[in-house]
Amino acid sequence: MFGALLVAGIVHGLIIGLAAMAVTLVFGIARFPNAAAGDTMTAGAYAGFLAHRATGSLALAGGAAVVAAGAVSLLGYLLVFRPLARRPVASLLVAAIGVAFLIRAVLGLMFGHQQQVFQVPLAWPIEVMGLRIPPMDITLAAVAGVSLAAAFGVLYLTSIGRQMRAVADDPDLARVSGIRPVRVMVALWLLAGAAAGIAGLMLGVKTVVSPEMGWEGLLSAFAAAILGGIGSPVGAVLAGLLLGVAQEVSTPYVGFTYKIALAFAVMLAVLLLRPRGLLGRVEEVR
Amino acid sequence: MSLLEIGGLVGGYGPVDILAGIDLTVEAGEILTVAGTNGAGKSTLAKAVMGLLPRAAGRIAFEGRDILGEPVEARLGLGIAYVPQVGNVFPSLSVVENLQVVAGVSDARGRIAELLAAFPALAERRRARAGSLSGGERQQLAFARALMARPRLMILDEPTAALAPARVAESFARIRGLPALGVSVLMVEQRARQALAISDRGCILDGGRVAMLGPAAGLLADDRAAALYLGQVGEAGA
Ligand SMILES: Nc1ncnc2c1ncn2[C@@H]1O[C@H](COP(=O)(O)OP(=O)(O)OP(=O)(O)O)[C@@H](O)[C@H]1O
Ligand SMILES: [Mg+2]
Repeated sequence: MFGALLVAGIVHGLIIGLAAMAVTLVFGIARFPNAAAGDTMTAGAYAGFLAHRATGSLALAGGAAVVAAGAVSLLGYLLVFRPLARRPVASLLVAAIGVAFLIRAVLGLMFGHQQQVFQVPLAWPIEVMGLRIPPMDITLAAVAGVSLAAAFGVLYLTSIGRQMRAVADDPDLARVSGIRPVRVMVALWLLAGAAAGIAGLMLGVKTVVSPEMGWEGLLSAFAAAILGGIGSPVGAVLAGLLLGVAQEVSTPYVGFTYKIALAFAVMLAVLLLRPRGLLGRVEEVR
Repeated sequence: MSLLEIGGLVGGYGPVDILAGIDLTVEAGEILTVAGTNGAGKSTLAKAVMGLLPRAAGRIAFEGRDILGEPVEARLGLGIAYVPQVGNVFPSLSVVENLQVVAGVSDARGRIAELLAAFPALAERRRARAGSLSGGERQQLAFARALMARPRLMILDEPTAALAPARVAESFARIRGLPALGVSVLMVEQRARQALAISDRGCILDGGRVAMLGPAAGLLADDRAAALYLGQVGEAGA
């Protein structure tokens, strides 16, 4: 029982972690809390759902989710966040909430508000080290693993990733180092959108696809981003796993309704004991 | 022709002119120190030359070419580099990444090897996060980062301000070596006496204007400069 919940928690945690990564990257580089990240997930989930219904391939669904969510994310930057770039954080947050509603409304108009379910073949659980794991969980964990490896590869092994981390550290110094801000921002929004898209696809497969799914998942993503240390992608993923496992494992004790509250209790406790989150760095005094 | 020519430069962050008409040149191969009281506009002048001041008018020419309307990127490309007063390295990037991240450098690999050879302390800590370096190492990295693009003019804003007193002399020695590498220096410094001691010429700003300008030795010997701007002889850190 505990083992099964642990596995479910890890898959759920990877979903939260990917979404939190999208939130924390935007926070670290564009410097505002992107409330549209949840609905970007939803866009990815619908694209993945359509591709899966048409082809039956989860890999193609992943590709569609990445492309669609990346495109939605980039459009949000080009049409809204770039023109507002120098505004106060509060304005950008409100603008992001507006973008979120817009994405949700468009998806609702295009696909209706009824819940859609991924038609995945039923399969017997596989036994791994005494744990009975549904094959779909293994597939989803693999999808998340590959996506995370790709995202961290971009961040830590490529030139544009290095530039993104430099802008996150110090945008002024980045400017006098010849780093072109717009290129970095385009890469940022594509990467954050792609991560959100995969998270949305996974959430859709695990639960149902509906226009509200991403907005409902946004709070967990924000919680994990804060818990992990705002601006830290590694922290976001670890915190996502922590929250996901805490939610699932606690379900038998606190019930379905309170598991989310419990996850937030964990987050509050960590924040009180360690205000900069798990891996956040102390803001340097300038 | 001077390397850098500034004529009638006015400008500021908002409607107020912080720079109130500055005429100044930096000659090829020289070190020029800009001194002056707090708030005189020294950092603002440095930013104006790099293209970071929101509003500037007048004339700034680099190697005879008017650059006042050029953005930061173009000025970098022409050979101007800037080491800001604070925040002059990327703390979460490694030493090597701080150099790799500089854009528009031809043969970046070779240039990094050259700079690591020139700054052996950095070579030893090449994989360390810049945020974990000591003050002296951090400054070497800030210089190396600015030198990546093989600049002809380096603008240094208070290079010794964040250093432990014991590190100040070696820092000035490092700056003294820059002209031999083909890099002229426009340096803003609070430690005016020590800065002038390694400079060819000095300039004293007051209220956004050039109050005094001349050979460094002359300024050091000038009673009025000493009384008004340079602090007492032998005063710690002055
Ligand atoms: N970013 C800014 N926005 C608005 N005003 C500024 C800004 N930076 C500096 N100023 C103002 O411009 C004036 C000159 O500042 P500047 O930083 O150039 O002085 P400074 O000579 O470098 O002084 P210090 O020795 O303290 O570094 C000051 O009155 C300062 O308040
Ligand atoms: Mg200053």
